[in-house]
Amino acid sequence: MTEEIKIQAQILTNEVCQFTVDRPILPKRSAFFSQKEDAKGSPLPEALFAIDNVVAVLISGSVVKVTKTNDEQWMPIAKQIGAAIRKQIQSGQPLVAEEDVRRSASEIDLRKKVETILNNEINPLIAQHGGVVSLIDVRGADLYLQLGGGCQGCGMADVTLRQGIEASIRRALPEVEEVLDVTDHAAGTNPFYSPTKK
Amino acid sequence: MPRVFVLIPSTSYRAKAFLHAGTSASIDITVASDRRNTLASFNPAGLIDLPYDDAKEAIRLVREFASHHLLDGVIGVDDEGVVLAHQIAAALQLRHNPVKSVAATRNKFAMRTFLHQAGVSQPDFYMIESGNRREAPAFGFPCVVKPLSLSGSRGVIRVDNEAEFAYACERVIGIVQKERQSCVQECVLTESFIDGEEVALEGVLAEGELHVFALFDKPDPLDGPFFEETIYVTPSRHSQKRQSEIIACVKDGVAALGLRRGPVHAEVRFNDSGVFLIEIAARSIGGFCSKVLRFSDGQKEVSLEELLLRDAIGEDVRSFSRERSAAGVMMLPIRKAGILSSVSGVEVAREVKGVEEIIITVHSGKEMIPLPEGGTYPGFIFGRAETPQEVETALRSAHKHIIFETEEITTEA
Repeated sequence: MTEEIKIQAQILTNEVCQFTVDRPILPKRSAFFSQKEDAKGSPLPEALFAIDNVVAVLISGSVVKVTKTNDEQWMPIAKQIGAAIRKQIQSGQPLVAEEDVRRSASEIDLRKKVETILNNEINPLIAQHGGVVSLIDVRGADLYLQLGGGCQGCGMADVTLRQGIEASIRRALPEVEEVLDVTDHAAGTNPFYSPTKK
Repeated sequence: MPRVFVLIPSTSYRAKAFLHAGTSASIDITVASDRRNTLASFNPAGLIDLPYDDAKEAIRLVREFASHHLLDGVIGVDDEGVVLAHQIAAALQLRHNPVKSVAATRNKFAMRTFLHQAGVSQPDFYMIESGNRREAPAFGFPCVVKPLSLSGSRGVIRVDNEAEFAYACERVIGIVQKERQSCVQECVLTESFIDGEEVALEGVLAEGELHVFALFDKPDPLDGPFFEETIYVTPSRHSQKRQSEIIACVKDGVAALGLRRGPVHAEVRFNDSGVFLIEIAARSIGGFCSKVLRFSDGQKEVSLEELLLRDAIGEDVRSFSRERSAAGVMMLPIRKAGILSSVSGVEVAREVKGVEEIIITVHSGKEMIPLPEGGTYPGFIFGRAETPQEVETALRSAHKHIIFETEEITTEA
């Protein structure tokens, strides 16, 4: 008889749900997959990306954090994710390719540091203009940032990003290489400063 | 690294281009904006806010800044900060134009007066002083009425007869009062309407000598009643003789105003009677339009913004010339007032041969206001091809696909 695997799902936001498994699946290590293509060769994230609307997977210790698109309800997707995790664990095979774990270790570390800066220093200040910045991805030492709220489409968004956010991150983390803006500024609906043709 | 102090108003489109140019040219940028950036304390060398309407205080703040950070040049990016930029540069003994010359470019009556005194070819003009009777122009109709200081054709109206004249003047005054949020009666400039074609010149001055970066044709007629810019294409398809006349006219204007250095953007009209200077600004081309310009000195391809930064620190940029390809931009016109509900056809327009980029700048839910009251374009199409005709065709074809859906603004009667 197969041993029961207990998984607790905790919805963190409409996009992110955390699945805590009753046993370690990547002991003391982490791997992050920001797109389906990155997961090739790693069975667990590959299986999770096969579920509709899954867009990112973070595996750390006994926790799997899954990001999905905004439009769907969590309940049916969470059940599929739980089933996929169980199936992969029961297979007895390595869940994540070793090279993905190695690649991701420094990225995960960098991600934590950047998120700390964004959450503790940057976001409280740009919130004064209704803005917010999110770390979307870390690739090597490159950061992919997304501006939202009042920053999205704002005439001063580039100044805030380059002279404020980037300068602040680089001062604290000189190992950072590129800081890339992946914001769709044209989709912003409430920019703090609207550019004009002058 | 050298450092340039760049005055970028919070409503500018051009912050990204200047920041990118600074990185490319290895020049540190200090962004001096008219509003405080909430992250200014994180990067005091890179971010500062200045009171654009209080030169004395602004200069005091910059002097204090300059006591900690060595400055090598000052640039005023858009109209709002251009006079202050030269005031600051003068105060810090950096390269600058005479402040009164730059100030004249920001007041259309003062500019016309300077040009008139020097005998530069331009429209006839007179100013209706605040509160005076709206007397029809002695030079007759059609004429153009315009505010003294707004830019981008805002408030510029063609008038064809006396009956329209007083109404147009009131309309101009209303636009200025709304802009300034003031009820003070404003002056109105009246000019003779110059029939013919219009071009725009982009260049830089080095010790009073004009170096032309580009001459843009404006193939859409600008006959009024409002003067909405649409297509700019370079190189010009006008004859070499005509181009020389246009450049000579701008040189006359530059000399008349006393401009000596830095960027110049000029608008010129011509017809069988000659060439007429419509406007000179001591700044570079506005909006996103500079994206069509690429330069090279045979080794490196650079943007207009990089040339301006290099010029600001004293480099000679006259060895750079524009690329061989034809290039152009279409500023998308607002045909109908309303609240924007959706934009369609952009992806199809992007596929048009010769179209390089399309930028939609207006956001859903925002009010679209056409000229003469409006102050923004909802988007830009950029094209590049072998010939100016191919560029123009590409821009027009792409434009046909883009549809701005608006909802009418209604109020209870």
